[in-house]
Amino acid sequence: MSAGGASIGDQIVFWILAAFITFFAIFTMTRRNPVTAVMSLVATFFGLAGLYATLSAHFLAVLQVLVYAGAIMVLFIFVVMILNREEVAPLALRPLRVLGVLAAVYLFVKFIDVVSFDLPSTVPAPASDTFGTVAAVGEMLFREFLYPFEAISVLLLVSIVGGVVISRSHQKEVSAERAAEHRKQVQEMARHDYPEAAGPADEAHGHGGGH
Amino acid sequence: MPTSYYLVLSFALFLIGTSGVLLRRNALIVLMGIELQLNGGNLALLAFSRQLGDQKGQVLAFLIIALAAAEAAVGLAILVGLFRGRQTINLDEITLMKR
Amino acid sequence: MSFNLRLIPLLPFLGAAILILFGRKWKRDTVLVVAAGAIACSAIVVFDAVFTALPAAGAGGLTDVVGTWFAAGPLKIDLAFRLDGLSSVLCLIITFIGFLIHIYSSGYMEHDPDFPRFFAYLNLFCGSMLVLVLGDNLPVMFIGWEGVGLCSYLLIGFWYQTTANADAGKKAFITNRIGDFGFLIGMFLLFQYTGTLNFQEITAAAAPGGALMQPLWLGQPIAFWAALFLFIGATGKSAQIPLYVWLPDAMAGPTPVSALIHAATMVTAGVYMVTRLHALYLLSPAVMAIVAIIGALTALFAAIIGFAQNDFKKVLAYSTVSQLGFMFAAVGTGNWDAGIFHLFTHAFFKAGLFLCAGSVMHAMSGSGDITIMGGLRKKIPWTHGVFVVCWLAICGVPFFSGFFSKDSIVSGAFGTEVFGEQLAWVGKLVGVILLLAATGTAFYMSRLYFLVFSGKETRAPHDVRHHIHESPGSMVGPLVVLAIGAALGGFIGIPGGMFDNPQWNWLAEHLAPVVGPEMEVAKSIEFGFMSVSTVLALVGIGVAYVFYGGGYREPARKFAAAMPGFVRLVQDKFRIDELYAFLIIRPLRKLAQVVFLVVDRILIDKVLVEGVGAVVDVFGRIVRGFQVGDGQRYMAVFAIGVAAMVYFATRPTMPSNLAVNVNGTAVDVDARRSGNTSERPQEYSFDFNDDGRPEVTGSEPSAHHDYGKPGTYTIRVDVRDPRWGTHSSVKREVHVPEGVR
Repeated sequence: MSAGGASIGDQIVFWILAAFITFFAIFTMTRRNPVTAVMSLVATFFGLAGLYATLSAHFLAVLQVLVYAGAIMVLFIFVVMILNREEVAPLALRPLRVLGVLAAVYLFVKFIDVVSFDLPSTVPAPASDTFGTVAAVGEMLFREFLYPFEAISVLLLVSIVGGVVISRSHQKEVSAERAAEHRKQVQEMARHDYPEAAGPADEAHGHGGGH
Repeated sequence: MPTSYYLVLSFALFLIGTSGVLLRRNALIVLMGIELQLNGGNLALLAFSRQLGDQKGQVLAFLIIALAAAEAAVGLAILVGLFRGRQTINLDEITLMKR
Repeated sequence: MSFNLRLIPLLPFLGAAILILFGRKWKRDTVLVVAAGAIACSAIVVFDAVFTALPAAGAGGLTDVVGTWFAAGPLKIDLAFRLDGLSSVLCLIITFIGFLIHIYSSGYMEHDPDFPRFFAYLNLFCGSMLVLVLGDNLPVMFIGWEGVGLCSYLLIGFWYQTTANADAGKKAFITNRIGDFGFLIGMFLLFQYTGTLNFQEITAAAAPGGALMQPLWLGQPIAFWAALFLFIGATGKSAQIPLYVWLPDAMAGPTPVSALIHAATMVTAGVYMVTRLHALYLLSPAVMAIVAIIGALTALFAAIIGFAQNDFKKVLAYSTVSQLGFMFAAVGTGNWDAGIFHLFTHAFFKAGLFLCAGSVMHAMSGSGDITIMGGLRKKIPWTHGVFVVCWLAICGVPFFSGFFSKDSIVSGAFGTEVFGEQLAWVGKLVGVILLLAATGTAFYMSRLYFLVFSGKETRAPHDVRHHIHESPGSMVGPLVVLAIGAALGGFIGIPGGMFDNPQWNWLAEHLAPVVGPEMEVAKSIEFGFMSVSTVLALVGIGVAYVFYGGGYREPARKFAAAMPGFVRLVQDKFRIDELYAFLIIRPLRKLAQVVFLVVDRILIDKVLVEGVGAVVDVFGRIVRGFQVGDGQRYMAVFAIGVAAMVYFATRPTMPSNLAVNVNGTAVDVDARRSGNTSERPQEYSFDFNDDGRPEVTGSEPSAHHDYGKPGTYTIRVDVRDPRWGTHSSVKREVHVPEGVR
């Protein structure tokens, strides 16, 4: 493989980052301790961010650090803290799965064959200054990709709500339900005793815990 | 750097992620493997986007990051709920199916 | 010429059907009228056909083709009947004697609760026998053959409530079946090598140089094997060695059955069949020798067994076997006329003898034990008279029917030329054995007569003795008719050579269109043997008189005392049944048990039933494994699947057979797959001698190479897809011929 046309600086940067990324990726997947795994994954993401920068995807590089390494990984850390348990035997080397991994390796080798055959080895032309900037990407987001953008917001909302619902504890659910019931009864009694003082129908009030 | 290098790297990342998903028992690690896979895909997208000079790839990568965030959130929520019931996150012990 | 022959078997079948459906509700008289009436009508049709239509018909006689029975490929069988000289004789016998026996049975079976069933079976039997005799091809004859076998089974085991009777019926049927197997093989052979099963066509095909003379197995021609196997069928049906063992046991059935089936008609089917296929038999002197020798040996063997039997019907049964042996000896020596002649006379006197047996047993309160009989001469005079006539006929006393027929057989045996040079001794041997058998016949029949009818006292106990009375008119009537036939029947077949007047042999004239001219026997031989056999008959009667005249006498007792072992052996019918039981039945039982344990228990229960379940279980387990809900597993399978798909989709395509063109010592190879135009560029490497070093490489799918010298080489072509990095290769052997420039 000859890096046709790339400057020496570019090559060095690429190789260092590639090595960095690969090393930490493998490191992540082979750790016994989840905390270590998370931290090395963070390192991988940092490396990736750098790689994105070399690809003139500046906005995404920053986003990678902010969202991925910053938010998602923090989420992971939280959960790891709750569920921290070390594994006895990390790797499950079952025959079918090993075979699957080998099949994937085979595909990788084939991929290298194809890629080195088809894709020209020349470096793409340098990008314009506005390529990959926040403004440029933002503009595209709000124009052609408005609908997906909004859809993804809805998706995030759904995931928030879903996350809350799923991780609710059963005890809390039961008690929440009982609290809602109690509140309804109190309201009924209040209306019964003081019919004129009853406000607009507030039945919707207690439905938050009706699941 | 020629695009093909980035592509190979992205496939390699994907491969590493896949092996982790297939071969690990800890559910958390499996989720991390999935994140690696997604990132591999992202890298490929960005490489092509750079080669073709088309920003659409970057927008798509943006959306994928958002998606990954949502998915990680829900996945972890499930994991927490599961842990509460089973007291373990070892996938072998969680499964209800035979063998 | 066409005639309504189908009526002849149809009427008895109708009778049988009606009686089976409605007989139980009718009175005895109605049943008799229906049954005997059916036979009588059938007899009337036969008489009409034989005496008015047949003489006017051509050589082929009367025919009636009811329709095509089945046609399967080259095989086309018609349901066709033919009444010619040969079948007419048999039809007359069957209907006439059948009718007489129906009358007799009305008296004999009077007190039997199953009266209607009996007559239904009798009718069914007569119908089947008529089909057998009238059939124009082997399958139709086989229908009748099987039909009479069935009726024999039904009638022998008529009183099936007694196990022994049912067993006897079974024995008859099974033994018959063994013979039938031979019959079928014979049929198959005939069809295979002549393409037809029709009698006329087979006769035409049986030419000395024809297809049937081609060697088949062991150097013997087809005709030999076909005739032999058909004869095996005949030994079963007609109770010859080795398949005669059912006939004595068949005496368990009612006496009219024994008279009709086991004396006059069914057992003669084998003789009829051989005579029908005489053209086939004439092609193989070896088989005819076998037939004749077996017939003669059976005649003698059965006669000897008859010496020591103490049951009236058993004596007659062995007598029947013996007389059938005479008939087979006759047809075996090519004397078709004599065989049919004896069949005719035997029908009368043997039926008469059996009906006398019934009459005697009726008088003796159902017992057939001759040791307690004696002196019945005065007590049942009509029966006695008939018996005397039939007795003299069977002994061959001159001018009774048996004399003429038996004599024709013996002289024909000595004078025959059908065996040719090598086997000429067979005729003489057969003749000698037959003479011995005839002497024996005279002896045992006379013994029977003396022990039953002669003497002053009946040896039975008091109550039986006082019950002795003559049979009713319905039984005596047929007896008398049969006696007349036994006395006078001989005159239809006086051998032409005797008085230089062939026209006197009405029977031979009648049969000539079918079986050819009468056998020429020198007058000297004829008269010679007549004298000899008369002398022998008198000798036999004389010895019997000495031993048994008036009851058991000293010489008999002394003889029995002198050779007790031998006497017992003969009484036990030479223990043939026991021999068969040991040799055949026991191993078969063992085999059945083994089969049961192995096949039924293991193979069927375990392997097939449980095995199927186990296979389903195993497959279920495997398939179940695909859906365990284990996501990682799914992904692994997914990866494997994708990898496999990629591999197979990207392999370079190559023809499975390389196109190789040889030009002198050079070859051109083309590895293109036909019809594939959009090919990715590939790398080819051609290795022309498979030594690992390719001679030609490049991106061209074809290559040329000159070997320089002839020989066999292996070409190996490898293809590599450079983009996907996948390989594929093909090998092919090529032969470079020499001497081509």
